[in-house]
Amino acid sequence: MTGKHNIMRLPAAWFIVLGLVFAALLIYVGTPMAAPKQVKSAKPGDCAACHGQEKVFSPSHVDTKAMTYKDCLGCHEKAGPQKLEGKLPGSHIHQLGGITCVKCHESGQKEEEVAMDKCVVCHNADKLAEKTAKVKPENPHTSPHYGTTLDCNLCHHQHKKSENFCAQCHKYDFVVP
Amino acid sequence: MNDDAQQKKGLTRRNFLKSAGGVAAVAGMAAGGLAAGVREGSAAAGSMPKKWDGTYDVVIIGSGFAGLAAAMEAKNAGASAVVIEKMAVHGGNSIINGGDFCAPGTRLQKEAGVQDSPDLMYNDMMKAGLYLNHPELARTLADQAKDALEWCENYVGAKFTRLNFHGGHSVKRANQTVNASGSELVNKMLAKTRALGVAVQTRTKMERMIADKDGRIVGIEVKTGYRFPDEKSGKTAYIKARKAVILTSGGFSNDVPLRRIEDPRLTEKFESTNQPGATGEALLAACLAGAMDVQMDWIQLGPWTSPDEKGFGNVPLFCERLVGYGPMIDPAKGKRFFKETGNRKERADAIILLGHPVIIMGDSYAVPKQVFPRALEKGLESGAVKKFDSLEALAKNYAMPVEAFKQEIARWNSFVEKKKDSDFDCMIFPDARPTVTPPFYAARLWPKVHHTMGGLVIDTNAQVFGFDLKPLKGLYAAGEVTGGVHGAVRLGGVAMADCVVFGRIAGKNAAKETAWG
Repeated sequence: MTGKHNIMRLPAAWFIVLGLVFAALLIYVGTPMAAPKQVKSAKPGDCAACHGQEKVFSPSHVDTKAMTYKDCLGCHEKAGPQKLEGKLPGSHIHQLGGITCVKCHESGQKEEEVAMDKCVVCHNADKLAEKTAKVKPENPHTSPHYGTTLDCNLCHHQHKKSENFCAQCHKYDFVVP
Repeated sequence: MNDDAQQKKGLTRRNFLKSAGGVAAVAGMAAGGLAAGVREGSAAAGSMPKKWDGTYDVVIIGSGFAGLAAAMEAKNAGASAVVIEKMAVHGGNSIINGGDFCAPGTRLQKEAGVQDSPDLMYNDMMKAGLYLNHPELARTLADQAKDALEWCENYVGAKFTRLNFHGGHSVKRANQTVNASGSELVNKMLAKTRALGVAVQTRTKMERMIADKDGRIVGIEVKTGYRFPDEKSGKTAYIKARKAVILTSGGFSNDVPLRRIEDPRLTEKFESTNQPGATGEALLAACLAGAMDVQMDWIQLGPWTSPDEKGFGNVPLFCERLVGYGPMIDPAKGKRFFKETGNRKERADAIILLGHPVIIMGDSYAVPKQVFPRALEKGLESGAVKKFDSLEALAKNYAMPVEAFKQEIARWNSFVEKKKDSDFDCMIFPDARPTVTPPFYAARLWPKVHHTMGGLVIDTNAQVFGFDLKPLKGLYAAGEVTGGVHGAVRLGGVAMADCVVFGRIAGKNAAKETAWG
């Protein structure tokens, strides 16, 4: 209750100052609500091409403009504490690795859904299952229900946060890249 | 015919929907808190579309055992067919089911020397169902289950390799798939269905049934590209069913608002063993098109589920293999409290009456012999099944009175020696032995919503009936979406038989319909 009273007693000028600070922040980081532009011709490491002035890195991060995924791995080792899987949307890792929009969306339209057939050209389902055979509590790439046929897109979203499809019935705390 | 019956006969489908009864039913749903988007908009059968986006002889809704059985039979009888599935994946609950298919007189029963008959299975179903089963439906199931199982083996190619017991049956008659999962059957059914040239379209949700001016079902309105549970997703399309629509959309165990209307105790506090898409909107859409529902408030809780794992889990496969071999204990008293081999309803009610989870246990003779190795391993890994070096350690873990518990185990063991339980009349199997060999295994049990016995009224041809008590032309149904087959209690392992028997009947009969256009 006392906290509430204190706020009530704050002079109106404080609100104006707070408001200005917030507005300045908004301008600095770009509009946080706006979706990135998805420029098809953007170079993989050129974040600003799509994100504009949006602050996507800490100020101390090296310039990525000319980088590919291989260059990223110099610092962000796979399976290391700095790994990018699970942190960066899948589409970005694809993009950085040279798998540009049109390599999956043939028409270049983002609305066009990508079927699993496309994924398995590079990510063979059986090999994936072998690779993750020791993941606990269960191998995420095979199951008594669907074998290795479950659609990649059910977990590995490319343009939004990935999800753990198994978790709708099971208590498996997978980190899904 | 009395006045009441005459009135019913005079009430046509369309009149019903317009009548106060129909309005009250819909208003009741709204008052019951059916705010879920699945009930948005009117699902009443109404206007015909200007154009159809697809045309088939038979349109099947749902891709579980019943839907795929219907699709194969319809196609093999010469009809063109399509299967639609609202979820992103095929198989519904069938693909997560335990793989037990009850049938009398099977190869596995003969190998095990089990004497069984359709009459005995029918009597077991009726007794467990409190004689509320529609007898002719239960009869059809019991008579045709063996043939349906053989069709699954010989035509579909599914493998059944073990004979199991389920509570409430008088003999072992559950023929278990090789991987102890319904996936063995449903995945092979899917492959066969596709090989026959029937498309199975996922993410396609039926929104309403479409009837002509005489009330005959002629097609459905769907949403393609639907993303469960986002009711705003998907695009509207119309599918014409020249001969019939077959509804095989399953039960509504995961539909909290609907199950609360039917059984107000079943709030969100009760978990379900079902897949998230086990909701009732397709069943209600059929009712809005004039189909009649029956026994909707008989909703089954599984007595073998664990509060220590999510969904169905591994404990049911542990528990059900141990009944008749090991005791079920109330930890508050350290004593048995009910017949372990009783049916699902009796056991779930007994546990709910105690008000707290109970224990099922077995020793190192019974558990390795009875429990599917993978289920045991996974149960131990997750901690839902625990292993103890002594009875004292087991009692201590569940805070049981040790002496009372040890006396009770000695008493149970004396019953096992005599093969007769003088306390609760538990069925004790010939190969059961006293629970004496460490280590001991145990799991906690607390019921979860498992099966909805009620649903659409059908006859032995799987023809749906309307509120005018006459066949609703153009609509067939099979599996959990129907009601009356099981009465008050569905016995374990009878759902697979139900789905395949009536799915096949529905598919064959739908293909025989005369095309309307």
